[in-house]
Amino acid sequence: MFGYVNVDKSNLLGKDFDTYRAIYCSLCKQLGRDYSIFARFFLNYDCTFYAVLMLSLSDKTCDFCTGRCRFNPLKKCDYISDDTVSLSLAAALTISSAYYKLLDNILDSPWYKRIFYRLLQPMLSSWHKISLKKFPTIDNELNKMTISQKGTEEDKNCNIDKAAEPTAAMLSAVFSLVDEKIDSSILKKNKNSKRILSSFGYFLGKWIYLIDAADDYFNDKKHHNFNPYITLDVEEKELKNYVLSSLNHTLSEAMLSYNLLEKGRYDAIISNALFSALPKKQNLVLSKFDKPDKQK
Amino acid sequence: MNNPYEILGVSPNATDEEIKTAYRNLAKKYHPDNYTDSPLADVAEEKMKEINEAYDAICDMRKNGSHSSTSSSSYGSSSSYTHTSYPDVRQYIHEGRLDDAMEILNGVAQESRNAEWYFLMGMVFSRKGWNDQAYTYFQRAYQMEPDNYEFRSAVNNMNSRRTYSNMGYDTGNMGCSACDICTGLMCADCCCNCMGGRSIFCC
Repeated sequence: MFGYVNVDKSNLLGKDFDTYRAIYCSLCKQLGRDYSIFARFFLNYDCTFYAVLMLSLSDKTCDFCTGRCRFNPLKKCDYISDDTVSLSLAAALTISSAYYKLLDNILDSPWYKRIFYRLLQPMLSSWHKISLKKFPTIDNELNKMTISQKGTEEDKNCNIDKAAEPTAAMLSAVFSLVDEKIDSSILKKNKNSKRILSSFGYFLGKWIYLIDAADDYFNDKKHHNFNPYITLDVEEKELKNYVLSSLNHTLSEAMLSYNLLEKGRYDAIISNALFSALPKKQNLVLSKFDKPDKQK
Repeated sequence: MNNPYEILGVSPNATDEEIKTAYRNLAKKYHPDNYTDSPLADVAEEKMKEINEAYDAICDMRKNGSHSSTSSSSYGSSSSYTHTSYPDVRQYIHEGRLDDAMEILNGVAQESRNAEWYFLMGMVFSRKGWNDQAYTYFQRAYQMEPDNYEFRSAVNNMNSRRTYSNMGYDTGNMGCSACDICTGLMCADCCCNCMGGRSIFCC
């Protein structure tokens, strides 16, 4: 379920892309600082987007400095020089989501993959303890999501909205946490900012769930796994249109919510992701539906 | 109230025309019609009110009274309704008490569920963020009473959002790839060879 929310490089200004890169590298570094050097392997774009959103709204300006990457010492990259709450929160989200994803994989995977996941488990659970201590809300929300996701998958009359609810509610809670944890005059100015953030998170979470379901559709169909689009009463050739409409609808709601928020420092990056990168991603994922034979 | 120029995002030295354009752009963005079925409908309404007030204030300040009276009415909310069988449900939805609205609607017997019932059910789902369910209910309401303006605009509004084709950029056409460049070079080389010159010296 990772990596859907990135930016569209070709439509982003160079300076904005550099900033995005720098935030990506800073989050990687933060993972190393808060957890362990191996935690950096779990870095993903979705959590980077969360970090960008927080840094964009925060009062504190970011000071960037240039350093070298530990994984690729030949490359120079920019970092945010000081430790910020935003990066810690995004790092906690990365670790907690990786941990719960791992637990889920252990239950669902075939035995040979399970051995690999079991090997990872002690490492991740020790980091998870740290993140639980730092930001219990994030961890609780992810835990709640995992439990209710299981419930919805067993539900006989499950529909798309019901299936997406746990992920949407999780991200909604995680986004509204921004209002509590980040010192931001932009958010304080508007008494509704918590609700706006919560709704933005809700629809973005729903979109992530739906695009992941669309991406896995043929795979799930083959292996008889749960997928909300399989339970639909729609003809095969109409399915692509239906999936596209539901994704469009959800994304447009996320855009409407974001529009109500005052613009922050990195609005260009967030708008690029929402208005350009995510629709592009939709097209990419849905191109699978044009040639279903290849997927079988 | 905050600085009206700040709300419209224009400088105090802006011309009347610039202010009008800024106002129109904002009004288009936050128009209540865009948000009727959104969970943030009331927030958008407040924002629109703020923008209207700011625009009126600027117009008053510039002693250009003719704008102030028309602006708030031209970009107002169009959610007024004349007759309804479920006034309390509409009130609850307006106040954001979605569970209460849902409870009343669920209490209505199957045979007395009219088009408005389906419409309101869709509204509750939509405000909750369950837009796929909402779409089904809106469609049902529209099928039952195709002449009703409220149901028709709800369905049209959702249809336009579900077929949002101009959201992204076209990903199909790439400028030119490495292969294109190579083929181009080879062609150029062939042409040059024919004419006696050489563009690629090794061949």
